[in-house]
Amino acid sequence: MNLRIHDYFERGKKVRIIVNDDTIEAYEGECLSVVLFISNKKNLRTSPKLKENRGMLCMMGSCQECVVLLNGKKVTSCNIFIKDGMEVKTGNLNEF
Amino acid sequence: MNFKKEYDTIVIGAGPSGVKAALRCSKKGLKVLIIDSNQNSGGQIYRAPPKSYVKKSNKSLEENLIQIKFSKHLEENNIDTAYNHTVWQVSPGFKINTFNEEGAVEWSAKNLIVATGTYEKIIPFEGWTTPGIIGLAACTIMLKSHQTIPGNKIILSGNGPLLILVAYYVLKFGGKVDAIIDTSSKIKWIQSMFSLILNPKNFIQGISWIFKIILSKVPIYSNSLVTKANKTQNGISVEIQNIKNKKIKVLDTEVLAIGHGLTPSTDITRLLRVDHLYNELKGGWIPKLDKYFRSSMKGLYITGDGAGISGAIAAEDKGELAACALLKDQNIINEKEFNNTTNKILNRLKRYEIFAKGIAELNSTPTSLIKNINDNTILCRCEDITKKDIKNAVNNGAKNLNQIKSWTRFGMGPCQGRTCQYSVAKVASEQLKCNVKDLGYLTGRTPLRPFPLDKAIGDFEYEEITKVEAAPL
Repeated sequence: MNLRIHDYFERGKKVRIIVNDDTIEAYEGECLSVVLFISNKKNLRTSPKLKENRGMLCMMGSCQECVVLLNGKKVTSCNIFIKDGMEVKTGNLNEF
Repeated sequence: MNFKKEYDTIVIGAGPSGVKAALRCSKKGLKVLIIDSNQNSGGQIYRAPPKSYVKKSNKSLEENLIQIKFSKHLEENNIDTAYNHTVWQVSPGFKINTFNEEGAVEWSAKNLIVATGTYEKIIPFEGWTTPGIIGLAACTIMLKSHQTIPGNKIILSGNGPLLILVAYYVLKFGGKVDAIIDTSSKIKWIQSMFSLILNPKNFIQGISWIFKIILSKVPIYSNSLVTKANKTQNGISVEIQNIKNKKIKVLDTEVLAIGHGLTPSTDITRLLRVDHLYNELKGGWIPKLDKYFRSSMKGLYITGDGAGISGAIAAEDKGELAACALLKDQNIINEKEFNNTTNKILNRLKRYEIFAKGIAELNSTPTSLIKNINDNTILCRCEDITKKDIKNAVNNGAKNLNQIKSWTRFGMGPCQGRTCQYSVAKVASEQLKCNVKDLGYLTGRTPLRPFPLDKAIGDFEYEEITKVEAAPL
């Protein structure tokens, strides 16, 4: 199933981002956390004590669970919009 | 840091309430700024699609048309906007500190209207931290704003109107809902429907959504809750239980969306130390306000769902009332004009509030959900604090939420307790056999959102730093 709905809006041009060692195709301007979620990259960061995998939860900038490293800086991926060539790292963010 | 000019009124939050408040103030000649962390106006309910999405002319969504109207009205009335700005500090007087991609900004205003809406309550259960489990509200944002179905297989669970709304949108967009796990009973739905009759538009909409769901033959498990979830090779395995007959069933899915109603965002009002009170039906702690939404601090008005949950339609009127109160307090409108305008709005609002009560009853958190949390379940996701840790703190003498925080580190992580405060309070009150309101609320602290230090400092040359003479040895 195509999870992207194209009935109501035209998306930006197709671009590529790099997530860890993989290249993912997305549309320019799409929300980063949404793209990661539907590209089966649901594990975003690890919890501080138990090192459990965590992923996107609230989508509105409240929970801080969707934090990733974007071009080397910690960001909440739910308010980041895709640009060509973005480099994203997920996992234990303190190890990079 | 960048200092911006002073405004007569700043509105925080460009949802339905904030927009209406800003418009009314501006129409009476006030210089108004509206701040929002999103890319555009609309709030979460009418959240705009990302900027890069171009609307097709032949088809449109109702929410999107409302949002476009909001933006148009703000522009026509020369209201300044600061989108993509996250508020991290508010001080009396009023100073509002925000940051965006470029750096930090300080704004100031004589009066402040806070219209920051709500967060979703998600009551924890074993395995709720598994990636792929998201909020129902998150699901509506993915669908309505980002035009994306979260997964090929979706289970929806929880209570409140969002459950039906999300199911409707997934089906409308051609997706598949594997099951709906509803904590409420079918009778509760029917009871609440009576209060919806007072607002025919919502009633008809609600009925048409329910029809679509019934026709699609999605299995609905009423009186049921999710007791456990764990990661499997291809997705998530979800264990559900019927509250009445205790029967257990295991379902497999790719995405589990879960939510247990909304709770007002009180970050800013707690930070400003205004009076609050506890109202379970309005979502938990809310600022203490008069009927025109004046807070206990002069010049500070709190409106929308952040003043107590009553929905998006009522939020518009609440915004109008807050603006009227502000205009009256500033002697911009006289007593007569104030009474004429507000009486009309108050009458309309009274009808919506009855409707809102029906929704609120569906929204309230059943005690079975709190009882379902086991000792090893994480409550505070930021700091990995379990129910057992909270119980230990209480058993060792912690008597209120702030003491439990110092004891355990719950609420000290990047989310500042927004995700877990409600459930920690419920767990602690059960352990102490006291009322939730006797535990108080977490003292508001800055930064309201994690804030990179390099943004606070900004770019500068060494010569630009004001050097202070060293103290004599």
